[in-house]
Amino acid sequence: MNRSFFLFCTLIVCISSCTSTQPVTTVQYKDYRIERSVRSDTAIVSLLAPYGAALNESMNKVIGFSNNQLSAKQPESGLGNFMADCMRIMAEKKFGRKVDAGFMNQGGIRSYIPKGNITVGRIFELMPFDNLLVLQEVKGAVLQQFLDKMASDGGWPVSAGLTMGIQDKKAVNVQINGKPLDIAAVYVIANSDYVANGGSDCEMLRRIPQQNKGYLMRDALIDFVSDLTRQGKPLDYHIENRVVHVN
Amino acid sequence: MLINRRKFLEQSAMATGALALSSVLPTSGVAAAAAVKRITILHTNDVHSRLDPFPMDGGRNQGLGGVAARAALIEEIRAEGGEVLLLDAGDIFQGTPYFNLYKGEPEMKAMEKMGYDAATMGNHDFDAGLENFATQLMHVSFPILICNYDFSGTAMESKFQPYKIFQKGDLKIGVLGVGIELRGLVPENLYGKTVYLNPIESANRTADLLRKQGCDMVICLSHLGDKYDDDKVSDEILAKESYDIDLIIGGHTHRFFEQPRKYPNRRGADTVVNQVGWAGIQLGRLDYSFSGSKKKNLANAHTVVIGKKTRE
Repeated sequence: MNRSFFLFCTLIVCISSCTSTQPVTTVQYKDYRIERSVRSDTAIVSLLAPYGAALNESMNKVIGFSNNQLSAKQPESGLGNFMADCMRIMAEKKFGRKVDAGFMNQGGIRSYIPKGNITVGRIFELMPFDNLLVLQEVKGAVLQQFLDKMASDGGWPVSAGLTMGIQDKKAVNVQINGKPLDIAAVYVIANSDYVANGGSDCEMLRRIPQQNKGYLMRDALIDFVSDLTRQGKPLDYHIENRVVHVN
Repeated sequence: MLINRRKFLEQSAMATGALALSSVLPTSGVAAAAAVKRITILHTNDVHSRLDPFPMDGGRNQGLGGVAARAALIEEIRAEGGEVLLLDAGDIFQGTPYFNLYKGEPEMKAMEKMGYDAATMGNHDFDAGLENFATQLMHVSFPILICNYDFSGTAMESKFQPYKIFQKGDLKIGVLGVGIELRGLVPENLYGKTVYLNPIESANRTADLLRKQGCDMVICLSHLGDKYDDDKVSDEILAKESYDIDLIIGGHTHRFFEQPRKYPNRRGADTVVNQVGWAGIQLGRLDYSFSGSKKKNLANAHTVVIGKKTRE
């Protein structure tokens, strides 16, 4: 080390020692990565065994196949597109009416879909919450507020047919099924009851009546993937510029 | 003013090490004065029911985490013989099918086996209802610490405490907990009558109480989140606004800290914040060494020097 630097440090310490009455605390930190190479505790392994056995029986069932790995990204992701499309399509099926758009809160995407087989357990990890799929009829002005909230968060998943830009934390150039968003029109939107009840700071939706058939979003995802599989289709989702940043 | 020679050597070595970003801190050798007291803090946050390691499916975290490996590691660290506190900053529940099927029972049983000393509550610990969380506590003997939720008239009413004092060797350590604002985050039907109170006021009041009871160190388990773009209350804000909190073990934001962060608090001393991501991918370890004259109680403001632990 540079000698003058050392002297400088010593001087600083001398001065601080003379003026400070504070005791000094040292903290040494270490972050241990918990890896497979680390030894396993046998007592814990046997504690978990009975829980795991019953769990794997129901969770390892394969219900579909994904062409690529899907993970949650902003402003848009293949995973988000899959989930938002599922919300809209399964809501139309379940409620028997046209739905203008389906949404998914970004924070509610809890995992990813690996390339290859999709198991029931995978869907449980993706959507562990017992949230319900609900419909709301909202004025265009409220929908704009909701989209602004998504924009301020960096972009949430939206279903096909809705496109928007994010500019200064606001939603701009919003198009719904080929037309610009009309603040006076009424739109039917599909959300989780969590969001519709004002969760993720969506206060603007909280007082709007909901249609609810007790249909879990997780079940909607399982049904959606199973339907595709029955049609001989894999999950094939990509980014398609539904939500983009605008400068 | 004359400076005690040993203290001078100790402090200059320490400060030089820190200023030169040397990785070797003199917690032994020269610094091994009788007044040095040590404690190892081990901590997790946002484990989210990750009992098994992530599956080997090509995902970013494949093979990482799992309670069996964590338990073995904790055992190894305990075997080093030092005083250890094992803490969790909340969101124990939700994220794998274990929780959907068993509502938190295996998570709690595993934490009990690992010998956790205390935990606080995260927003997802409400996910199967407050009653369920209270019920699952029958599997553990460690306390749930939280000082800014008023649980009056709820299932948690008699099942939590604002703080706990641990005697670890020569050190008296006070641990408290703070939770995040529930409205807009947790569905109302899940938190019920729980009332959220200002976390800074509650934490400062509780920390003051702990100092007055002679605690050498005050630790706050927090599920507030490390920091936000707006003025939403966070560990960063709590650290700066605190008087008597030495260390905040954080969670909620799933942040993997490169190293513990340090903020000057209201007393002009240092408050340290740490967080270890989520899912039990990491176990955090903080080895504290307190030096001070024997006459003086450690319950004074501390200047903190942080360094990476290099020796096993």
